[in-house]
Amino acid sequence: MMQEMISGMINTLMGTIMSNQIHVPVLEPLIKLLAQLPVGGFMVSLLFWKAFFAALICPGFATVGILLLFFPWIERKLCGRIQWRVGPNEIVWWLGGIIQLLADTIRFMFQEVIVHRDAHRPYYLQFPFLTFIPTLLPLLFIPAGSIVAIRTPYAIQIILALVCLFPLFILGLGWASNSRFAFIGTVREAFMYFAYEIAFIVAILAMIILYGTSDLVAINNTGTWGILLNPVAAFVFFVGAAMATSRLPFEIAEADQELAAGPHVEYSGIGFGLIYVLCYEKAYVLAGLMTVLFLGGGSGPALPGLGELSGLIWFLVKTLIVMTTLFVLRVIYPRYRLDQALSIGWSSLLSLALVAVVISLGVFMIGGGAI
Amino acid sequence: MAVEDEKNRNVHILRTGVLSPLKRWGVKWSLWPCHFVTSCCGVELAHAFASGFDGERLGTLNMGISRQANFIIVEGTITRKMARALRVVWEQMPDPKFVEVIGACGERGGIFWNSYNLTRPSDIVPVDFFVPGCPVTPEALLRGVRAVQHKIEGRDRTTIKFKKTKLPSEPGKTCKVPTSPKVLAPTPLVKVDVGRDVDWSSGTELVKDLESRLAGLYRRITITDVNRIAIKTTPEHLVELAQKLRTEFGFDHVKSVNVIDVPHERKFIVEYMVSGYKKELMPVILNVFAELAREAKPEIASLASLWMSADYSEREMHDFFGVRFAGNAGMNYKFILAPEVNTPLRKDFKLEDESYVLEDNVPYAPEIKPPLPAELELPLPEGLIEDAESKEEFVVLVGPHHTGSGHLRWILRIKGDVIMEVIPDPGYVHRTMEKLAENRLYIQNIPLFERANISDPISMQLGYVRTIEKALGIEVPERARYIRTMMTELSRIGAFFYDSGIFSLFLGHSTGFMYVWAIREMILEAMVRATGSRCTPTFIIPGGVRRDIPKEVIDMVDNFTSAIHKRLKKFEDIFIYNPVFIARTKGVGVLSRADAIRCGIVGPFLRASGVEYDIRKVEPYDAYADLDWEVTTGDAGDCLGRYMGRYEEIKESLKIVKQTVDALRRIPRGEVISEELLGDYREASEDIKGHMFDVYGNLVLPKGEWTTVTESGRGTLLYSIVSDGDSNVPYRVRIVTPCWMNLRGIVEASKGERVADFWAIYGSFGYFPPEADR
Ligand code: SF4
Repeated sequence: MMQEMISGMINTLMGTIMSNQIHVPVLEPLIKLLAQLPVGGFMVSLLFWKAFFAALICPGFATVGILLLFFPWIERKLCGRIQWRVGPNEIVWWLGGIIQLLADTIRFMFQEVIVHRDAHRPYYLQFPFLTFIPTLLPLLFIPAGSIVAIRTPYAIQIILALVCLFPLFILGLGWASNSRFAFIGTVREAFMYFAYEIAFIVAILAMIILYGTSDLVAINNTGTWGILLNPVAAFVFFVGAAMATSRLPFEIAEADQELAAGPHVEYSGIGFGLIYVLCYEKAYVLAGLMTVLFLGGGSGPALPGLGELSGLIWFLVKTLIVMTTLFVLRVIYPRYRLDQALSIGWSSLLSLALVAVVISLGVFMIGGGAI
Repeated sequence: MAVEDEKNRNVHILRTGVLSPLKRWGVKWSLWPCHFVTSCCGVELAHAFASGFDGERLGTLNMGISRQANFIIVEGTITRKMARALRVVWEQMPDPKFVEVIGACGERGGIFWNSYNLTRPSDIVPVDFFVPGCPVTPEALLRGVRAVQHKIEGRDRTTIKFKKTKLPSEPGKTCKVPTSPKVLAPTPLVKVDVGRDVDWSSGTELVKDLESRLAGLYRRITITDVNRIAIKTTPEHLVELAQKLRTEFGFDHVKSVNVIDVPHERKFIVEYMVSGYKKELMPVILNVFAELAREAKPEIASLASLWMSADYSEREMHDFFGVRFAGNAGMNYKFILAPEVNTPLRKDFKLEDESYVLEDNVPYAPEIKPPLPAELELPLPEGLIEDAESKEEFVVLVGPHHTGSGHLRWILRIKGDVIMEVIPDPGYVHRTMEKLAENRLYIQNIPLFERANISDPISMQLGYVRTIEKALGIEVPERARYIRTMMTELSRIGAFFYDSGIFSLFLGHSTGFMYVWAIREMILEAMVRATGSRCTPTFIIPGGVRRDIPKEVIDMVDNFTSAIHKRLKKFEDIFIYNPVFIARTKGVGVLSRADAIRCGIVGPFLRASGVEYDIRKVEPYDAYADLDWEVTTGDAGDCLGRYMGRYEEIKESLKIVKQTVDALRRIPRGEVISEELLGDYREASEDIKGHMFDVYGNLVLPKGEWTTVTESGRGTLLYSIVSDGDSNVPYRVRIVTPCWMNLRGIVEASKGERVADFWAIYGSFGYFPPEADR
């Protein structure tokens, strides 16, 4: 009885895994070879199980890790280039300093973590870790090509809900720090949240209307470039993303020169290390979402032999481009003031978002229904 | 823990444990300096991290916050107040952390070695590496970073050891121990209103007018020079006289407040240098002074309520001499001095003298007087927090270690997002120049004063040298006049670029900073070629300039000016015409014409509020009268106006440079130092090399007080030298730098603005703390 149940379960599990494999023609012989090994077959099929692959490898965990290790370097080099200098290049000079972030990470890990006397100790230590929940979870719902961990018709709504949690955790950080600059930074963060949130959501709404669904995989499969159909929504989304990730010209809550980094002024060592990479993660999530919503997701000319990985690569490339644009903003613009950002959010951005809805409705009418 | 025990502790942390190699590698490539600008060497630090040298190549990313940094670069002078900040910042940083000290000042005080306000960083925090230089060049600084990296790695990095040499001595011949060249009159005769016959007809009329309308309020009115009048009065009549001067004559601002201590006559002389921005009064400076008995607690009525511009200077004098200005709000705390220093500028406060022969085996370390207190904390003005809390305001302390503070502390009282009041707490870079100058030869003071502002060094020298020349009545040769003008304008352009860089950083725009500092690098290059030094050239000397400039350098300056034009275009595109920049600065921090005059701001910032006062036109000196250029004024008086006004001025400066270059090509090479000064050393008229001390060592100014104003990069620079006519050191030197006057402008303009605007206002004033604190 028991045995039957267990083997039944294994069979269903295997069935699920096997039915949802990623097909990569070039790797096919290798997989066949590995399948002959005792556990190898199971391992390989697990690895190539879409859900598993998406959550742990791409666009999930491993990609995030690699991205965090190299993206800041790309950013620093690129910004350096724009600013007539070179950026980090002495460390392993023949690679152009590419492992700069590795050194920084190691340094952060071995640095003393100071918990100052006034901090709310338990929260102060928890929040840097807790913040990862809303920033990493959305990755489960974002499809890279056809690879996605969880496919649901409510993907956009869930991602939005999680994205809207970002500021909450930042508020927690700032509050637990219990310092003056952190306090002002926290208040600013809260204000900024109101500046972009509504416009941002309305812009996404416009896209849902356009596509007639909020299932990201379905949207991805249409392969349309939303930015061509509704550029206004794309613009609002992009500005909203800049505000949500605290990029210049909206880097108001952190304002290095005014508030000495605002909410996380007191963090040191690995605590700061975690917060430092946080904005890259946020940017990654939002850039991923933007890619699927506006840039056709994984669509693009199929790369020979890569099968489903081809979509994934296109997705990554587009996401990286969006992210880079988001980060290069910092060398182009100075910082707005809080009240200016608020008025931009509430007047220009919100009205543009409404225009975007109208455009979507228009496209919807002309096109005779959703795409 | 004492500093001795802490030494190398951080390196030991890295050397222990199994993971030691990994730790060392990580830390080595990730030394993030925290933003702790302490003094003028900071200018070179910024160059080292700007596009010219790009310190980020080494993985050193400038980080604003001490908690996240692990490296301090101490830039030069650590004053008493700054010492406290240094210790606090160092303690805030997580282990393992490293300290590099750059600049001569950071070792044993450098040029300020016997100052009363100086400390040695190595007494405050454990230092890992010293880089000498004044200022250090960016290359040397980065080499220092490298050295710290090597130290972390465990590689030994012994630097130079100085060899001891015996002085050659011939048998049978006795060697004389060198003695001080200073000559000090035992009972100096101090008189600030020495009359002089000058050709100044409108002045005679003005004096008559003053005499008739001020009858009974003054003791004596004397013309001391062209455009200079001294009015002697008594402490009792001072306020009434000042009131009349202000309301009836239109003397609407104070250029300087000065106190002179005359212990052997048991008196203080309290002076106010008063002037007006009415067209005909512009060049006139009245010296209104009164004598005050030298008692335990000297007190005189404050004029701050009449002339707001006198306020901070009165507080300063209160710190220096202990003279109370009754009615001034700042009399119950020290404004720019640290709590343990009392009345340092009185003559009975003696500084250590140079020693010309050192004892064998006794390490040379001048004593630090008065000793530093054990508790390093900096008090806030009394009752401030309680008062703020009762009004539901929030007090934020910005600085001295803060990305957006520079080297001073701002106390912001805010309500919601609005600034109610800004209280400045200067003095973090107060290097006691006025006191030091009283202990050095006239000629030795030139390098001293230029260090007040190494981002605009030539103007600083020029002001001082002009004062000496004026006292001695020296004419400067034509070629030297043009060279001076060219260098001054280059220096002015450099100062503007410096300020634009800082301004753009304050607005969060690092690209603006990088561009403009890259352009500044060219100015410095021109400076190096012409004078031999990037920031501290000591180029202008009484009677001319140190040496003639060769033709190639003049051509190069010409090329630079056109190259700068091209580069500026890019800067304009990314920063000046950036919509965000305009949104941030337009209509922010407005000072109307009346306000600007009232709070006493000077220079381009005053002109931005609509006052057409440029000393280069009002009282032309050097070659300015012969050149074709215009004064730029605006009437907006906001941050954008102040900035753009300066930007336009720089374009005029480039025009001036162009004209001087043409003139210098025309004027034949040759005499650049006035022959009447050179005396027996005529052959040095092209290059003073080797004869500096012979010619200038015994310079003595005629008796009296000599005051000049000079238009420096940031505005009116006033020097006034009191000489007793016998000593070859000045009896008293008063310097009022433009930044010191502009401090009040920042405070007034910020009131009622939003918190973030404070940085826009601060940046727009081009405030350079070492210059303000002197
Ligand atoms: S005087 Fe200024 S430039 Fe010279 S060492 Fe000191 S801080 Fe540096």
